[in-house]
Amino acid sequence: MLSAVCCIALACSTPAAENAEAAPQTDDQTPATENPSGVSTRISSKLVNPHATAEAVKVYDVLRRLYGKKALSGTVAHVNWNIKEAENVHAWTGKWPVINVFDYIQIWASKDVNPKGWLDYRNVDDAVNWWKEGGIVGCMWHWNVKANNGSDMTCTPGTEPSQTSFSPARAIEEGTAENRQLLKDLDQVAGYLVLLQKQGIPVLWRPLHEAAGNSTEYEGGKAWFWWGADGPEVYVKLWRLMYDRFVNHHKLNNLIWIWNSQMNDPEWYPGDEYVDIVGRDNYYALQYPLMKEFRQLTQEYPTKLITLAECGNGDEVKMSKWSKIWAEGSRWSWFMTWYDYDYNEGRKDAADHQFANPEWWQDAWQSGVVVDREEMKGLLK
Amino acid sequence: MNKHIITLSLLFVCPLFSTVTALLPLGGGWVGASERTILIGPKTIGAGWKDNVVIKAEQFAGVQVGDIITVYNDRAKGNAQGAFQDPKDWKGIAQEYGYFGIAGPFRMTVTEEILPKLKERGVAIGGHDYRILKVTHTPAADIVEKTVWRGPAKLMKDDWSVYADVEASAFKDLHVGDGLRFHVSRVQPGAAIKLCDFTYNALDASVNGAPVGGDAFTYYVTAPATIVQLTQLKNAEGISMRVSGKGYRLDKIGIVQQVGGVDEDETTAQRCPPEYILGPGELFRGEKEFPMDWSGNLRITAEAFQECTENDCLVISYRPLSNSPRGGEDSLSSGDKDDTALRPSPQRGERGEGLVLSLREQRKWHDLTGAEEPVWYDLDGSDLVYMLDNPVALDNIKTKGFVLTGRGFVLTKIELVKVQ
Repeated sequence: MLSAVCCIALACSTPAAENAEAAPQTDDQTPATENPSGVSTRISSKLVNPHATAEAVKVYDVLRRLYGKKALSGTVAHVNWNIKEAENVHAWTGKWPVINVFDYIQIWASKDVNPKGWLDYRNVDDAVNWWKEGGIVGCMWHWNVKANNGSDMTCTPGTEPSQTSFSPARAIEEGTAENRQLLKDLDQVAGYLVLLQKQGIPVLWRPLHEAAGNSTEYEGGKAWFWWGADGPEVYVKLWRLMYDRFVNHHKLNNLIWIWNSQMNDPEWYPGDEYVDIVGRDNYYALQYPLMKEFRQLTQEYPTKLITLAECGNGDEVKMSKWSKIWAEGSRWSWFMTWYDYDYNEGRKDAADHQFANPEWWQDAWQSGVVVDREEMKGLLK
Repeated sequence: MNKHIITLSLLFVCPLFSTVTALLPLGGGWVGASERTILIGPKTIGAGWKDNVVIKAEQFAGVQVGDIITVYNDRAKGNAQGAFQDPKDWKGIAQEYGYFGIAGPFRMTVTEEILPKLKERGVAIGGHDYRILKVTHTPAADIVEKTVWRGPAKLMKDDWSVYADVEASAFKDLHVGDGLRFHVSRVQPGAAIKLCDFTYNALDASVNGAPVGGDAFTYYVTAPATIVQLTQLKNAEGISMRVSGKGYRLDKIGIVQQVGGVDEDETTAQRCPPEYILGPGELFRGEKEFPMDWSGNLRITAEAFQECTENDCLVISYRPLSNSPRGGEDSLSSGDKDDTALRPSPQRGERGEGLVLSLREQRKWHDLTGAEEPVWYDLDGSDLVYMLDNPVALDNIKTKGFVLTGRGFVLTKIELVKVQ
């Protein structure tokens, strides 16, 4: 256990240049696409990190080439670090999605920092195998901190015992206890991401997501994650602090940075020089409102790819079929469906999957505009 | 109260007595102790916390503190949740009843806090992913309790680290249908209880962190397997149950049993409106009341409107509420009206004294056309035909759906019709 902690600590404190060779990125400003369907013709040809690895540049180039023509398919891990939902899709349809997104939601329970932990984020075999098979690795972070009761871990801000008063404003202030905790967590996750970089694996990196919550949607709305609790100005500083810590301190050059819009929240945008792709999470995923949101984001962020970073059936509506979404005019770079805890626990049938069932996936594959992992393997060669 | 004591003592002499006495109404309630049906279903509580049924206050005229309200249900999915809500604000009628897992019938014990709400407004039963079959009321006098664990009391800290160990011998008289009542005190906001077997695994999902409030939490045993689990699966010390949680003090545990009969008379029970299967193009079919106090509204999501055009329309059918200004009229059946009568005259911003209806934006509550002042449609008996030819209304309805509000009528159907 001790040696494991040292290993991570070393990885965190030593800039990791291994296998992080920067790829040449030209100043090419030519359109990424011929704008067949309303996508922006001004998509940046470069990643924001000038030292991005060759693999990251390669993945980004493929995303640009496909943009407007086809969407990549994606699934999220079951809770934390696995390919369970992708396996579900494969079992239902015989095809693998392209993107598997892992979640650093339980870093406090990783065996390298917790002898009683139930997972080990240092074990990156699933990600390595996924990349080898032609898949793209995504990572997100439900950044849990101590709840007010001192025992639970949570992302939810508030004063209730089960919520957290952890203040992002205090956390970005050098020298505070919150700042020390923040840097400790950042360094721990950086240590895990370095392991992927060392394996030559680029990462679609989507941290600090859904920051505005519904604060911009209606009066009385508010952030539902602590990182949005102190408003947009603090949030933008937090994003930039993370970017600086990862890119400049840890030399993490394998990350493609994805920021989530909650719609009508430009003041929460970290800036063109800190974001590669703009994402949207939507569980009212009907074809018409999705089309409107895609067009709005395309107008607001004309140099960025636009992606449907999370989607699925919501409490009120069933997600439109992908063929309908595409036909309506949305050209999201990729989509990622969420997992169903109860289904994975064997408590319901596949047809009742909470977010995207086999029928939905069959339609997606049959639409002819969705890339699977096999096709991506060829594109990445 | 005295009547209940007398009834209970007579139960030991004549087991049928409670059934007999239950048929004798007195004032607003019933004399005697037996389980009485107050709501007859079925009522489907679908996904997403959209559905509920309000049991009217009159059903609770004879209810007293300590009585039990039981919701019998079926078709519960693994993640189903129930709720007893105050119709005033749709919050839990008490802290512990805002939401909870479902495993078999679920119940509410009437407390001093809950009683006046029931008598004034009734209660809404909601949640998601199950179906209500019927709801009953059981008088407190019909319930007997035997204490099986007396402590020492355990204060459950916020870190869930404290356990109260209960020996299997405590459950020797436990039967399916009985309840385990956990008497609590010093209850904090957010208090929760977890009931585990001796290996620290939750007995079932409904008690893996269930909300706790008031002075007791009752877990009803619905499966024979639970009896086996609690009476026979034990460790070397004889422990078969461990009680944990946070934010409360566990003082004692009792087994509660229902000793009365069942009142078969359902004539006074409230009945759920029939549930219809929607036909093609139908967005709503059934009986939804819009009372004169403006409390009625119905949300329709955008799902059905995704491919709508300006040529489409909504046809809204209704009948007057019996206590509305035109409630006695029977000329409002809408099937034989000619087309010229199909569009009632709208009034902007004035809702008048009669039967009116308006269509609103979700959340903003503006008129569906985007105007801040709602357009009120007088209901003269004709179906209301709402053309989607206003571009803003069309955009709104395809993006967010709409809310229908108004007063003085019973909504019976909403159809989406393609006009050629």
